[in-house]
Amino acid sequence: MFDTPGRLYVVATVLPLAAFVLLLVGGGVRAACRPFRRQGGFCGNLYWVCGGDQPLKTGAYLATAFMALAAALAVLGLVEFLTDTSEGPLRSSRWSERADWVRLGPLDTAPPPEWEKQRAEYDRPAPPVALALEVGYRIDSLTAVAFAMVTVIGTLIFVFSLGYMREEANETVEDHEVPPAATGSDPRTHPHAATGHGSGAGPFRRRGRFGRFFLYLSLFAFSMLNLLIADNLFQVFVSWELVGVCSFLLIGFYYERPKAATAANKAFIVNRIGDAGFLVGIMVAWTYFGTLNVEELTRRVRSADRDSHGPAQYPDRLIRGNPGQPYRDGTPKYELPVKEEFGTGSSLILMPIAAEEPDHTHTPGYGPHKDRRFRVPAAQTYTTYGAIPYWLFVVMGLGIFLGCVGKSAQMPLHTWLPDAMEGPTPVSALIHAATMVAAGVYLVGRCFPLLAPEVLLVIAYVGAVTLFVSATIALVQTDIKRILAYSTCSQLGFMMLALGVGGWVAGLLHLITHAFFKALLFLGAGSVIHACHHEQDVRKMGGLRRKMPLTAYTMLVGVLAISGAPFLSGWYSKDQIIAAAVGYGLRHQHHVLLLVLPLVTTALTAFYMFRLWLLTFTGEPRDRHVHDQAHESPAVMTVPLVLLALLSIGVAWGWPPWDAEASYLGQVLHKAEPAAVTVEFGQDRDLGHEHHLPAGALALLLAVAGAAAAWWSFGRRRPTTESLYAGGGPGYRFLLNKWYFDEVYDAAVLRPTVTLARVAAAADKRPTDGPVPPGEAEPPPRRFDLLTLDGLLNAPGQALLVLGRSLRGLQTGSLRTYVLWLGLTATLLLAILAALAR
Amino acid sequence: MSELGLPPFLILSAFLFVCGVVCIATKRNAIAVLMGVELVLNAANLNLIAFARFRPGFGLDGQVFTLLVIVLAAAEAAVALAIILNFYNNHATVDVDEANELKG
Repeated sequence: MFDTPGRLYVVATVLPLAAFVLLLVGGGVRAACRPFRRQGGFCGNLYWVCGGDQPLKTGAYLATAFMALAAALAVLGLVEFLTDTSEGPLRSSRWSERADWVRLGPLDTAPPPEWEKQRAEYDRPAPPVALALEVGYRIDSLTAVAFAMVTVIGTLIFVFSLGYMREEANETVEDHEVPPAATGSDPRTHPHAATGHGSGAGPFRRRGRFGRFFLYLSLFAFSMLNLLIADNLFQVFVSWELVGVCSFLLIGFYYERPKAATAANKAFIVNRIGDAGFLVGIMVAWTYFGTLNVEELTRRVRSADRDSHGPAQYPDRLIRGNPGQPYRDGTPKYELPVKEEFGTGSSLILMPIAAEEPDHTHTPGYGPHKDRRFRVPAAQTYTTYGAIPYWLFVVMGLGIFLGCVGKSAQMPLHTWLPDAMEGPTPVSALIHAATMVAAGVYLVGRCFPLLAPEVLLVIAYVGAVTLFVSATIALVQTDIKRILAYSTCSQLGFMMLALGVGGWVAGLLHLITHAFFKALLFLGAGSVIHACHHEQDVRKMGGLRRKMPLTAYTMLVGVLAISGAPFLSGWYSKDQIIAAAVGYGLRHQHHVLLLVLPLVTTALTAFYMFRLWLLTFTGEPRDRHVHDQAHESPAVMTVPLVLLALLSIGVAWGWPPWDAEASYLGQVLHKAEPAAVTVEFGQDRDLGHEHHLPAGALALLLAVAGAAAAWWSFGRRRPTTESLYAGGGPGYRFLLNKWYFDEVYDAAVLRPTVTLARVAAAADKRPTDGPVPPGEAEPPPRRFDLLTLDGLLNAPGQALLVLGRSLRGLQTGSLRTYVLWLGLTATLLLAILAALAR
Repeated sequence: MSELGLPPFLILSAFLFVCGVVCIATKRNAIAVLMGVELVLNAANLNLIAFARFRPGFGLDGQVFTLLVIVLAAAEAAVALAIILNFYNNHATVDVDEANELKG
């Protein structure tokens, strides 16, 4: 259809950005024209054209339309991609482009001497030196699928928001959750706060923020899509930070509520920790590889799959070696370990990547060339072999993964995600289902070839611990959104675990399917919350099934899907994850925890999800007030629910449907799987295949057991309100308090930091001498106080002042005194000269 | 004529110099201070001439310098007397101790 169909994706990415810019400019112009709104004239008219006093409804519809258009383009692109039959360089030129953004190094026309030598030896054209930050896109089937997922879910969430955020479209919104202390304190920032009420009286009132909500959502969508299509780590990082900012803005959307403001800060700060790690990873890559393009990085660290002598014996490996005695001309020499110790050595050997045709290359040591020694030039460039200390390579991988830990809310940094529930529910759906949390898993998948086996093991363990701990916390939570938040953590743990144990397709398939059913669950929860007038406590619900059947049954689909009921999308991905874990766990039996934890957690997942559904929708209404006012949501909210339910059921189907590995989506993803996965985990995977059936059956059995236990506790016995509010044993309290993570962080990080800040502030305080003199605001400053920062900095100045004051007395104005000094000084100088001359 | 040699000239010069300095340091009359300065300058002149006479290596330098100093002294006297006259106009005295308005 086109020469470069990849540009479809660029257009689809830029569309939400265009909506964002339009809304931003419109809102900005309106704000600028606001003082003239009563006077008419050009500015006054412009104010009314840009929406007047009402929130920007047109803008919201526009943003939704743009998002829908992006989704249409994404689906078109996906079809185009899947039907594209071109191969090799042609295919990559059709689906990827790159350009310089900021050039940091010189575009060197004169290549360095080593190249000249090589060129003379091998008759190879010299490639340009890179050293530029680039922008670019590269579409493979993972990108195409994830892009379609994000845009489709994004569109549904935009539409749902049109209904859910309807209140914000009013000129004035009452926010009952803002504590009275904040009410009407500042009429300037809250123009409606003081109208109608005396300051401090009545609920908090503010202007509706319909347009602003869609402004943020659009920027969010753009950042996420840009992250997906990016072909280099720097572009990923930029989008990564943009996503972080958007999540900050959206979680803190109701920023007048102290809890929302705190949660936004927490999400932002916790993510900074992860991002610092990501930055370290990027800097190591930049320093040692001179490029951030993921494809090039991969070719640099993994050996080529063929060399000039045919297929390589050890393709797509990390080749390690040890520095040996340097050559006589001083260039470092590296020696590969003997074949039996393959994969050991203190340095990672970097492969030359500049030559498109592997003319005169060979995999060091293990090809037909038996030479185990080779030279690494002092100046490492694209075209030569290079070396990086292996531990630095591991640090790079860990750094990148730390970024993913932050974004995907993995174990040590997961605490922000449940707090992020303070944002509006569609935001929770967007952040926790389709976009932000997906970014971490996506990046691990993307950078898989760059991760050392040690890093992958860390990933697997982090994932395993996260999925178990989060699931246990979700068992006892009572806030409907928090249950879902912990469930998200847990499911992300599943994905990380899968990636860590080599289930690349399984993990990313779960990313896609989870996005659909978690978006469904969140939007369903949003529908319930909307119906119950912002009541989120499941203990106050119950029996809502009859009031809102559509929400109840679509949510049931989501619950079944996440629990892994056969033939729903969740089953396909979870079954594959279990298979991967089984393969890995059986082959590395000392890592059996990686197999046990996910199996146990499948039972826990089914339990807490059914608990949520049963408490919300079945049984007797436990709070008459909440139940009476509940109603089914309008079509603008239920239609996305139904569509998401359909997608949650069928998105992973394939033929035959009873074979999880036959999932069509999985096979599409499989095309993008890096060769490194097979190299590192091929045997595990074969083992997993063998034991797939019993493992899958066991997982299913555990899930059924979990669901049955939930039904036993909450469906059959019909818990009373009192029993739900009654506390439990120490274990229950431990889980209810989320394993005391927040408390530990509070004691270990927060308090020391605050104490340190207090000490620092005290050191900065202006020291005083004596009491405040009458009639003055401040006590007199101490003259010399070397113990504080200010005192230390002021001491030299004060010393000069004192010196000047004492010298002032010498200028008496008496001529005779001057002459006396003159004479004495002259005598002294002459005496010194005489003494020196002797 | 017996040669006196350099030292007597230097001693005379030093004597004149000290007289000048003491005069500057002790007199309150501005004119007297100016006379003290003239004594100091002439002591220097005598020094220069004496060295020029008894140390052949100096050539004409001493004489030239002395002429310069004489011219300088004349100019200085003119300026200083003008200052003193103005001072007298303003203060009705030539007491240098009265000139203390600029002290810090």
